[in-house]
Amino acid sequence: MKTLEAEHLKKSYRQGGKEVQAVVDVSLTIAAGEVLAFLGPNGAGKTTTIKLIAGLIRPDAGTVRIVGRDPHREPQVLAQVGAVLEGNRNLYWRLTPLQNLEYFGVLRGLKAKTARQRGLELLETFGLMEKREVAVQTLSRGMQQKLAIATALIHRPALLLLDEPTLGLDVEAAQTVKSLVRQIAAAGQAILLTTHQLDIAEVLSDRVAVIQKGVIIAQAPTQEFIRHFAGTDCTYSIELEESLDGERAAQLQSWGVVVEDTHRLRFTGSSEQLYRVLERINPLPLLRIQREEADLTHIFLKLLKKGNQEG
Amino acid sequence: MIQLFWAELKRSWIQYIRYPIEAIGGILITTFFFYALFVGARYVAGPTSQFGERLDAVVVGYVLWTLVIFIVNDIALNLQVESQTGTLEQVLLSPFSAASIFLARACASFSLRFTSVITILLVILGLTGSRLQFPPSLILPFLSVVLGAYGFAFLLGSAALLFKRIQQLLVISQFGLLFLLATPTEEWQGSLKWLGQGLPMTAGAGLLRDVMVRETGLDGLRLLLSLMSGVVYFVLGMVAFRWSVGVAKDRGILGSQ
Repeated sequence: MKTLEAEHLKKSYRQGGKEVQAVVDVSLTIAAGEVLAFLGPNGAGKTTTIKLIAGLIRPDAGTVRIVGRDPHREPQVLAQVGAVLEGNRNLYWRLTPLQNLEYFGVLRGLKAKTARQRGLELLETFGLMEKREVAVQTLSRGMQQKLAIATALIHRPALLLLDEPTLGLDVEAAQTVKSLVRQIAAAGQAILLTTHQLDIAEVLSDRVAVIQKGVIIAQAPTQEFIRHFAGTDCTYSIELEESLDGERAAQLQSWGVVVEDTHRLRFTGSSEQLYRVLERINPLPLLRIQREEADLTHIFLKLLKKGNQEG
Repeated sequence: MIQLFWAELKRSWIQYIRYPIEAIGGILITTFFFYALFVGARYVAGPTSQFGERLDAVVVGYVLWTLVIFIVNDIALNLQVESQTGTLEQVLLSPFSAASIFLARACASFSLRFTSVITILLVILGLTGSRLQFPPSLILPFLSVVLGAYGFAFLLGSAALLFKRIQQLLVISQFGLLFLLATPTEEWQGSLKWLGQGLPMTAGAGLLRDVMVRETGLDGLRLLLSLMSGVVYFVLGMVAFRWSVGVAKDRGILGSQ
C-alpha cells in the first residue's frame, strides 16, 4: 500500500458566472520515504491538488487514499497528514514556537505532554531551541518556515505536503530547508513537494510529476525523467585557442551555433552535427570542449512549451 | 476533547495577554463606556432622580450585552481573521471535526470572557451603587442566554466562512443584540409576549432581570421556554456551521480572502 494514492481528481469552480477547471485529471502516488516533486507553472492546479489531498477542498470526482483511507470520508486519517501551505501563515504569530508546537500537536491528536516533549525535540533538531520563548511574529521568515515544517511534523505524519517551502527564503535558509526535507524522507515519511526552484526539486526528489492546466503531462523517476525527455540532443560549449574568422563564424551561425565571442561557441544538437561543426573549425586549435548535462529546468520549460503548442 | 479544551484555553489565554495593555484596555473601555452613559443619563434626568430598579435592570442588560458581544466576536470575527491569515486551514487539518474544534474554542473563550465580564460587572456595581442579587437560581436562565449567544455566534461564523467580510454585519448585529438583551420583553402582553419568548436570548435575559433585580422567583414555564429557545438556537448555529464548512470545502474558499 502506498502512503498516498490520488486517482483522477477533478475540481472546477464558478468564477464570475464562468466555470473554471482548476484540476482536470490528476493521479499521483507516493510511497513511504519517497519525495515527489510536483511541478507546474502558476495557476496550473498544484495548490488545489494539495488541498484536495489534505481534505480542505472536496473533489468533484476522483478519490484520495492516505495510508488506504479517504480523508474526505474518514477525517481521522488526517492524523497522518502534515502540511505547510503556501501563502498561509500556518502558525499563530502571538504564540511562541513551543506553544505553537504544543497546540498543533494536541489538535492533531497527541496528548499535551507528548506534544511538549516532541516539540522540544523538534526545536532542537531544527535549530530553534534558542528562540523557543519568543513570539513567532518576531522570527525571521526562514525561521518561521522551519517552524512551520516542524509543526507539520509534530504528530509524525506518514505524508508531508510542502507547498513552496523555500519561497521567499534566502540562500542559507533554503539550504537548511533542503537538508531538512532530506532528513524527513530518510526517516520514512512520504513527501509531496511543490517548488518553482527546479534545482532544488532535482536534487531532492525521487520522482517528478508535471502539471499543466490541471492535467498531469509527465510523471517519472527524476533521473529517468531527465534522460527520457532530454532526448539525444546535447548542449556543448567549445573554447578555441585562436580567434574565429568572420567567414567561419557566419557559416557556423547559419547552422545554429551561438558564437558568444571569437573564442567561445555554444551548440545544441546531435553528436553527428557536433563533428560537422568541429570539421568546419578545423584546423583552429581547440582549448576545451564540454558537454553540458541536461537538467530539470531545461526539460520542464521544454515540456511546458510543448504542452502550450498542443493545448 | 478535554485535552483539546485545555489546549484552546491555553492558546486563547496566551493570545489574550500577549499585549496586556490591549487586554486591560478592553475591560476599561467597556466599563467606562457604561459609566459615561450612566452619568449622562443622570445629568439629563436631574440631580434628584432615582434610577432604582431600572438602573439595576440596565446593568444586567449591559453586562449581558458585553458578554454576548465578546462571544460573537470570538467565534465570528476570529473565523474571518483566521480564514484570511490561513491558520484556519491548518486548524481544520485535524482528525477532530470542525464543529468539535470550534465547540472546544467556544468553551475556552467563554471561560476567559466570563472572568472579564465579572470584573466589568464588579467595577460597574462599585461605580454606580447598583445592588444586584446573585442567587443560585440565576444559573439556568444564564445558561439559556449563553447557549443562544453561541447559536447566534455560530450563525454569524457560518456567514464569515461563506462571505468572508462581515464586519458591517457584526456592527449591525451589536445593535440587534442590545435590543434582544436590554428590552424587557417579559413585560410584553398578548401575542407579543410569545414573540418575546421566541427571540434568541431575550427570555433568559428577562428571567435574569426577575431573579437579580426584581428578586422574584423563577417562572417554571418561562424557564423551560427560555432553555428550549437556547438549545434550539445553539443547535441551529452548530448545524449551520457544519453545513457552511462543507459548502466552503466544496467551493474551495476555506482559506481564501
